[in-house]
Amino acid sequence: MNAPVFAPWTDQSAEPMIRFRNVTKKFGDFTAISNLNLDIYEKEFFALLGPSGCGKTTMMRMLAGFEEPTSGDIIVSGDNIGHLPPNQRPVNMMFQSYALFPHLSVWENIAFGLRRDKLPKDQISARVDEMLKLTRLEKFARRKPHQISGGQRQRVALARSLAKAPKLLLLDEPLGALDKKLREATQFELMDIQEKTGTTFVIVTHDQEEAMTVASRIAVMDEGKLVQVDTPDRLYENPNSRYVADFVGDVNIIEAKASPLDGDRYALHWSEAEDALIGTTSTALSDGQSCYMAIRPEKIAISADRPEDAANAVQGKVEDIGYLGNMSTYHVRLNSGSLIKAQVANQRRISRRAFAWEDPVWLSWTATAGVVLAD
Amino acid sequence: MTRTLTAATVTAALLGSVALADEVRVYNWSDYIDEALLEKFEQETGIELIYDVFDSNEVLETKMLAGGSGYDVVVPSGTFLQRQIQAGAFQQLDMAQLPNSGNLWDVIQDRTAQYDPDNAYSINYMWGTTGIGVNVPKVQEILGEDAPIGSLDLIFNPDNMAKLAECGVYFLDAPSEMIPAALAYLGEDPNSHDSDTIAKTEAVLGGVREHVAKFNSSEYINALANGDICVAFGWSGDILQARDRAWEADNGVEIAYNAPSEGALMWFDQMAIPVDAPNPEGAHVFLNFIMDAQNMADASNYVYYANGNAASKPLLEEDVISDPAIYPDEETLKNLYTTTPYDARVQRQVTRLWTKIKSGT
Amino acid sequence: MLRRWFLIAVPYVWLLALFLVPFLIVFKISLSDAAIARPPYLPVFSWGDSIIDFIRELDFENFIFLTEDDLYWKAYLSSLQIALIATILTLLVGYPVAYAMARAPEHWRPTLMMLVILPFWTSFLIRVYSWMGILSTEGFLNQFLLWVGVISSPLQILNTDTAVYIGIVYTYLPFMILPIYATLDRLDGSLIEAAEDLGCSRASAFWLVTLPLSRPGIIAGCFLVFIPTIGEFVIPSLLGGSDTLMIGKVLWEEFFSNRDWPVASAVAVVLLLILIIPIVLFQRNQQKQAEADR
Repeated sequence: MNAPVFAPWTDQSAEPMIRFRNVTKKFGDFTAISNLNLDIYEKEFFALLGPSGCGKTTMMRMLAGFEEPTSGDIIVSGDNIGHLPPNQRPVNMMFQSYALFPHLSVWENIAFGLRRDKLPKDQISARVDEMLKLTRLEKFARRKPHQISGGQRQRVALARSLAKAPKLLLLDEPLGALDKKLREATQFELMDIQEKTGTTFVIVTHDQEEAMTVASRIAVMDEGKLVQVDTPDRLYENPNSRYVADFVGDVNIIEAKASPLDGDRYALHWSEAEDALIGTTSTALSDGQSCYMAIRPEKIAISADRPEDAANAVQGKVEDIGYLGNMSTYHVRLNSGSLIKAQVANQRRISRRAFAWEDPVWLSWTATAGVVLAD
Repeated sequence: MTRTLTAATVTAALLGSVALADEVRVYNWSDYIDEALLEKFEQETGIELIYDVFDSNEVLETKMLAGGSGYDVVVPSGTFLQRQIQAGAFQQLDMAQLPNSGNLWDVIQDRTAQYDPDNAYSINYMWGTTGIGVNVPKVQEILGEDAPIGSLDLIFNPDNMAKLAECGVYFLDAPSEMIPAALAYLGEDPNSHDSDTIAKTEAVLGGVREHVAKFNSSEYINALANGDICVAFGWSGDILQARDRAWEADNGVEIAYNAPSEGALMWFDQMAIPVDAPNPEGAHVFLNFIMDAQNMADASNYVYYANGNAASKPLLEEDVISDPAIYPDEETLKNLYTTTPYDARVQRQVTRLWTKIKSGT
Repeated sequence: MLRRWFLIAVPYVWLLALFLVPFLIVFKISLSDAAIARPPYLPVFSWGDSIIDFIRELDFENFIFLTEDDLYWKAYLSSLQIALIATILTLLVGYPVAYAMARAPEHWRPTLMMLVILPFWTSFLIRVYSWMGILSTEGFLNQFLLWVGVISSPLQILNTDTAVYIGIVYTYLPFMILPIYATLDRLDGSLIEAAEDLGCSRASAFWLVTLPLSRPGIIAGCFLVFIPTIGEFVIPSLLGGSDTLMIGKVLWEEFFSNRDWPVASAVAVVLLLILIIPIVLFQRNQQKQAEADR
């Protein structure tokens, strides 16, 4: 059995559902979004990721209709909706604050959008019940928002925004107000609901873990521009810039000068006192070009003796150990003075830990474990 | 004499007072004295004078009846004075401290004695009449050359009032003035305290009510002077003030005051000393100062009201002493009547009747 | 323990001294009889007299009297009517002002708030007097309208009920604006966006979300205007006509013209009883609001 992989962005013939075309948004002198192009496909769970002020919220508010683009087009299902008011868009939004109407019960909150469409009563009632069931809120239908917990409120907000069966659902930091455990459970719930309803989700978040968990694709944004748009694994394994490598996950960045070896292999000179590192990249680098090697901590092996066949090996002393339960992070000070983080899964009980503070250790990784990024 | 509440009254009512020995607190009607006299008093006697004003007998009376007003000299009108004496609000005057009391005018003394027997509690400050002020050319234009501007027929005959309504008529908002006037118009005793007789005035006042632009006791001065209205039933001095303002403005408005031929109310404003006055000696000094012939003449020359001081008459200015609207001639003087205070039951009937006439309820 | 007891006692002592004692004095006078005396009623209590004898002389005659003359209930009803209409008018003027203030740019709001409160810096009486200057037949308003040519002869506004309404709306407007502004200011802007997102136009979002959510402010504002307006005396006596019938004026006449302190006190006691109903309702609204905020 070979289920077809959901990846319409790789299909040249697929028609995107949402297209941003040369969209620019300015607030006075401040440019929030600068000449941006982006395609989002039907049934995608698409994440806009970036630090606060990067423009991700502006993107979402332009989709919802709360902001109009200064120039450029926003096309949803072939229609240019850039200047439509929010109530005329096939789009619903789940607000970061949930924005539940405090004077209405849970039931009335969910029915609010349906009533605006002047649907028959029994139809509204059936749809609300369906939504209550989907979000497991049946018991709370008569309660007012201030009478239920934060997690329940979050589900009411979701049910309300899904009630009208929008083509596109926007989620603005939907899990930001929940504690960590509930957040993780809800992430899977969101994915489940997205799959069940077949709605296209666009989520805005500053939490890279959350984006990695839920999204089919992630757009990493910085200062009003898209830095990289890719699937979570490619974003993690093949960041296209130091910015993305640094933003997504934990990483060691080593500054170096490249000198080409054979094929896509390069020798990276990074320290007078140490040997050159070996790395690969598809980007052609000239001799002596400054570059970075980005290497994830979990891709670094740690050992007492120098490994025989490692492409890269450096020696240092354990300076700090971060115990995370399932794994430990070792901060190793190299002889040259740089600090490198290495992560090791804790397969054994802690009493048998191999290394202690001040132990001399070797760190090693293969030539393809890290990514070499041009400056 | 009744006037509506104004800012000055309320402000005065709100002010508490703690008296000192070397000061005298006087509570008088607003715009009722030449301020130069107040300075003169302080210079002559070395007593500090604190002078507050009111413009409603009712407010003054409430202060007197409640007690502890902190004033040394107050100026109620005759009927109010009488009731307040009964209530025990005033102290008898010490004539030994009032050498100038010989200046008082016996004609007025005789009349004020009906409110204050033997004039034991008060001295007269000013007196006047209540009558009709008209804008002569306007009224003659509407009612003809022989318009009855000196008769109550002008204001109580609905035929006349229906025509005058177009140029504007104001009445005093004071039942104790209007009901005696209506009784005089009916040929009844203006000072009647009989319920049935008083009830007859409802037909007279109610019959012209719709033609009265406003019941108000102070605005008619300006309204007459500006030509906004052509008839006002009000107090002599006020209407004379309107006459002077119109002269000064030279706006073509010509005002005349007449005490009605059917009889006009004569009223008296009396100075008295509250029973709990903090400084009765100082109060006597002030009363004696006021009774000085020259001082009293200065006061009348300033406010255009007649006073009860015989010695001051030669010192009055010609336009005051010889104006029959201020000092009526013998004939008119006979025609003036006075009123006495109503008892509680009749007072209630009068107030109620007045409310009914004004509001229809 | 002592400290806690003290903290509880303070508001009660306050209430006792500033409300209950004066009320009992007024109530006692309302059970007395008018007299030409100082003070003008009997009996007057003095220490040393038998309290029993004193109480025997009190009766409810004055309250019975109030039911015998239709003037009083008509005046109460007319006051309620004027207060009700004035409250609605104040709401109609105050709500848009409060709404505009809450929607104004952040840095403008302290200034706007200041402008709303500014009139309180001048004497209330002076402000009412200036309205007499504006509204009189030869006043600014008529002169302006004549100059513009809207009217050919001056309008009689002063000394009518219209002037009373203008006076009340003007005087009590801040009491309407401030509580409504407070609720609108606290209103989460994303609620309006959510309503629009779910299919509301601007107008229907206002009706379905903004208005219901500002209800506590509207109720508070209405009570703050309605309650003092019922007993209002200065505005109707200065701006109103002779035929403006309000209980405050009737009370004034009982007190000053009739010198009947006992009947005046009875009128005041009944007025207070009438006011207790809206005051209790107001308290419950405030309580509910406080609970909802928690």
